[in-house]
Amino acid sequence: MTVETRVAVAFSVNGIAHRLEVDPGETLLRTLRDRLALTGTKDGCVEGECGACTVLVDGKPVDSCILATATLEGRRVRTVEGLSGDDALCPLQQAFVDHGAVQCGFCTPGFLMTLTALLEENPSPSPADVREALAGNICRCTGYRQMIDAVAAVTAHGERP
Amino acid sequence: MQFRRVRTLEEALHVLTELGDDALTLAGGTDVMIQYLHGEIAPEALVHIEGIGELATVSLNGRTTLGPLVTHRALVTDEALGTAHPALAASARTVGGWQTQAVGTIGGNICNASPAADTVPPLLVADAHVTLVSRRGERRVPLTDFFLDRRKTVLGPDELLTAIDLDPLRTGAGEVYLKLGRRGAMEVALVGIAVRLGFAGDGTVGSARIALSSVAPTPRRVPDAEAALIGSRLDADALDAAGEALRAAAHPIDDARASASYRRRTLRGLFERAAIQCREAATR
Repeated sequence: MTVETRVAVAFSVNGIAHRLEVDPGETLLRTLRDRLALTGTKDGCVEGECGACTVLVDGKPVDSCILATATLEGRRVRTVEGLSGDDALCPLQQAFVDHGAVQCGFCTPGFLMTLTALLEENPSPSPADVREALAGNICRCTGYRQMIDAVAAVTAHGERP
Repeated sequence: MQFRRVRTLEEALHVLTELGDDALTLAGGTDVMIQYLHGEIAPEALVHIEGIGELATVSLNGRTTLGPLVTHRALVTDEALGTAHPALAASARTVGGWQTQAVGTIGGNICNASPAADTVPPLLVADAHVTLVSRRGERRVPLTDFFLDRRKTVLGPDELLTAIDLDPLRTGAGEVYLKLGRRGAMEVALVGIAVRLGFAGDGTVGSARIALSSVAPTPRRVPDAEAALIGSRLDADALDAAGEALRAAAHPIDDARASASYRRRTLRGLFERAAIQCREAATR
């Protein structure tokens, strides 16, 4: 017989501390969307292939659909909701808008999070660096060219992502 | 299902001894969680070892030693490691995308025992051995003997893989990992091959190691193909003989990604390309 044991886990999301009791198999994607009402993180393939659910854990991009929330004790999570201020988009988001890098928008939060990690690690990535960083994010309508242009625009202005 | 968070090796071994077959070790979870969510596995307990810092170290003194929690991303970005183990770094770079590489570990790639495990062929040509530890004791096993079948290994239910040791690339040798797939990213190898060749001063092959993935239930070395290259200058006869040996060692299957026939037919070309690239990459 399988005994379900709830696990206590404490971590932060966009700077806000949370202490939750979760099932061992509960994914961070479900925690964010269903418990914390952070629905910017999208539910795509649910097998780590498409990148729509990408969030940052301690600054690293991860697929939240295959990450157990119980493993996040003491970690810092950032989601797309943490990128913008109350009124303004962050420079990368604004560049996405300016360069037509958003069409249906479903993949956009994942792309923004992966690119945020890239720009924090390497403030002036080459187009090849951008392409490699985005290998785990799939867009099925706009295409990638506009996103690469948006990154180039942000880095050319020397702005923080 | 229980969730057990362990912070030290001692604690991990204690929990694994207590739980035995009911427990599954969890690190980055990129394989385990997908299998769990798909209902392919239903362990009684997950033992989360990711916080055991002593298992995430890299040592490049003499023989290289990697902790099992070294991530694919670390293999890609650690320059000293990439110089000593270029094929291993190249293989890690092809595992999923950044999201998978950021948390997926080399110990996980080994213990998941996929026939297509990317890091395993480069480990095999580096004569990798794995250290398996339990409260009963410790043993060091050649990686060639670690895999029993698809997703089956010699790892006991109370054992943890605690280290991987391997030969760094020596002067006069080159190594490459080549992976056949339909895309450049997010691909499971249709055929994977790692080749490490050492060259004598006169340009002949002095040492040869060749390992394949995705063409049999387990990744494997092919000693007959290696022997066929020794003493040669990678001339057509030697490549033919090695190619035949590889073909004989390959037992691919038809699956959703490719036919067995396609895998067999592409193996030869992939091998020749790898051998030539090894020569070009060999340090002098």
